[in-house]
Amino acid sequence: MRIGRRQFMAGAASVAVAGSIGRAAAQEVTLSAPWMGWPEEQVAPLMAAFHDATGIRVSAERLPITELFRTLEVRLQARNELPDVYLVDGPLTASYAARGHLLALDEMLAGDKDRFLPTTIEQGTYDGQLFAMPLGTSSQLLFYNKKLFAEAGIELPSSDPEARMTWEELLPIAQKLTKPEMSQFGFAFENTNPYQLLPVPLSKEAEVIGPDGLTATGYVDGERMVEAMTWYQELYQVHKVAPVGTFQTGVTQEMFGSGKLAMIIGGTWNLVGFEKFEDLDYGVAPHPYFQGGKAVTPTGSWHVGINPRTAHMKESQEFVRWLSTRDAMNLWFDLRQYPPSLEEIWDERAGTTFVDPAWEIVRYELANTATPRPPTPGYREYEDFLRTAMQDIQTGANVQDSLTRAAQNIDREMRKYR
Amino acid sequence: MISSRWTPFLFLAPALAALLIFRLAPIAVAVGGSLTGVSLMGDLNFVGGENFHYLLTDPQFWSSLKITLWFNLIINPLQLAIAFGLAMLVFRPLPGLWIYRTLLVLPMAVSTGISAVLFGLFLDGNLGPLNGFLEWVGIGAQPFHRSQDQALYTLIGIATWKGAGYWMLFLLAGLYSIPTTVYEAATIDGASAWQRFRHVTLPLMRKPMAFVLVADTAINFLFFAPVYILTSGGPGGATSLLMFEAYRSAFTFSDIGRSLAISTILLGIILVIVVVEFRLLRSPEEKHV
Repeated sequence: MRIGRRQFMAGAASVAVAGSIGRAAAQEVTLSAPWMGWPEEQVAPLMAAFHDATGIRVSAERLPITELFRTLEVRLQARNELPDVYLVDGPLTASYAARGHLLALDEMLAGDKDRFLPTTIEQGTYDGQLFAMPLGTSSQLLFYNKKLFAEAGIELPSSDPEARMTWEELLPIAQKLTKPEMSQFGFAFENTNPYQLLPVPLSKEAEVIGPDGLTATGYVDGERMVEAMTWYQELYQVHKVAPVGTFQTGVTQEMFGSGKLAMIIGGTWNLVGFEKFEDLDYGVAPHPYFQGGKAVTPTGSWHVGINPRTAHMKESQEFVRWLSTRDAMNLWFDLRQYPPSLEEIWDERAGTTFVDPAWEIVRYELANTATPRPPTPGYREYEDFLRTAMQDIQTGANVQDSLTRAAQNIDREMRKYR
Repeated sequence: MISSRWTPFLFLAPALAALLIFRLAPIAVAVGGSLTGVSLMGDLNFVGGENFHYLLTDPQFWSSLKITLWFNLIINPLQLAIAFGLAMLVFRPLPGLWIYRTLLVLPMAVSTGISAVLFGLFLDGNLGPLNGFLEWVGIGAQPFHRSQDQALYTLIGIATWKGAGYWMLFLLAGLYSIPTTVYEAATIDGASAWQRFRHVTLPLMRKPMAFVLVADTAINFLFFAPVYILTSGGPGGATSLLMFEAYRSAFTFSDIGRSLAISTILLGIILVIVVVEFRLLRSPEEKHV
């Protein structure tokens, strides 16, 4: 059949009419929510539970960590109604709040603040106001592959935080577990984020930012920092016990899960994440430290914030309020196992989940060694340059030069916060 | 009744309007924006030449400028030469020629982003097949985009893989437009194959080559996606092309004014270089005009 101009116009018009009817029928609100690129099975059930409870849909856009930060910058700077809600990395609260990208939550969560661990509320607070609701906190463990240890005839590391391994003790073990002919490596950090790597210089008691929170030169490229990052580089470039070019969490997790990596420093989320590797038999030990230095572990985690310009204010607030309930937090814990931000979940599970040795270590670390990332409104710039420097250092760039360049760049970008 | 004086303008109006809306207006907005600064809370202020003054005293900007110029100094002649070579190869009739032509043009159909991701996997130090192959033949694994020395050249390689086939099409069309009679005349005069290439093909290809060089230059000065996806300007700032710096200024450091100033400077550089390229590739007859 030949379609004439008249038929074509009629067709186009009817499609347009049908489309607008469809739109009118869909009264349902869908919240736009840039989210972390966690596996779908750790995100979708949470959103589905919220939909069941309220009839509001959340379209969670799962993005890898660096993409998430970049995407949020692009969208928030447009200063329009999107996104409705978004994941806020704890130390970025100040950065977003200072630029008017977060709605203050004090009124909404007025009666709830004391249900949370105080440190988590602190992370979500800027200028005395709560801007981001804590979804949890975090801690890191040393995961080791029992089978590879047994094959090499190495004694398993102790799970007692008081008797934790030093980095000096870890190296010869990692060397024994490295088998280049089988592409097997002894050790790796999960990723190259400052969150993950700052405990290395901090264990040498390095100061990683100036007391004003805005100065990097002399700190980021300070003597102890250079010493610590030289040690880090040697793991990859000299001793070759760690796989070069592993910047992202997913790669190192796969390597550990498939037996190509004998030890990994990673978050508690792996307690669930490693379940998918059926042949993996692993144990956990506390985060190592430098001999003569102090034990330091990363902490802090994801929060949820509301865009003050959202067109769906009521629904967005409902979402955050729902997430702060015991049931939602309990579900979230089952999905990804971040150490909970709600006291009641710690209490409820004290006799069940948290009797596991891994959680005993985590409780110890949270109480004794957990060190938050530096508080600064310029954490975004700080993190971006430092991450790049750490990646460069891993791949063999001159340590002092990389850190000095990072420090200069950070100072340059911090000027606007002065 | 419309006077005939206006008729040509009426016919041109849609194209001119599109040019104005999609090309000139954004340029004007960018140039205007380069004279402004945005406060932390998003308020816009006029700051005059402050952004430019800042850039001129910023070592990062100078380093990016140097890298951008070096990148273009290599990639544009390289792509032109390879595209020309490929065009010569697939110009003469051969059995199965269409297969080769299709293969050469195929990378064009892969989006820049996807090709960067694919090359990232292909060149990966731990899992990448290319390094497996290099080890097998005894050359040894290479760090490629993870090394300060190789990163820029790796990006040039990726861009050329994608671009050469595309530019080849224009040069191929140019080759077909040279009348065979010219070659016949040269042959009768006793010109060798090299002489025919040097004195017939090359001079008659000036125009298509000028077009390819100019268009390629404009595109390569704005080279961005593979930097964003593969290297983020690293390692050690080795691939921080100006376009990436413009992006970072706006979206990592929330300094839109500086970003637009970089874009404006880039635009100026492209204009100057394109004018120079056009002059260099002018045919001798035009030079006397």
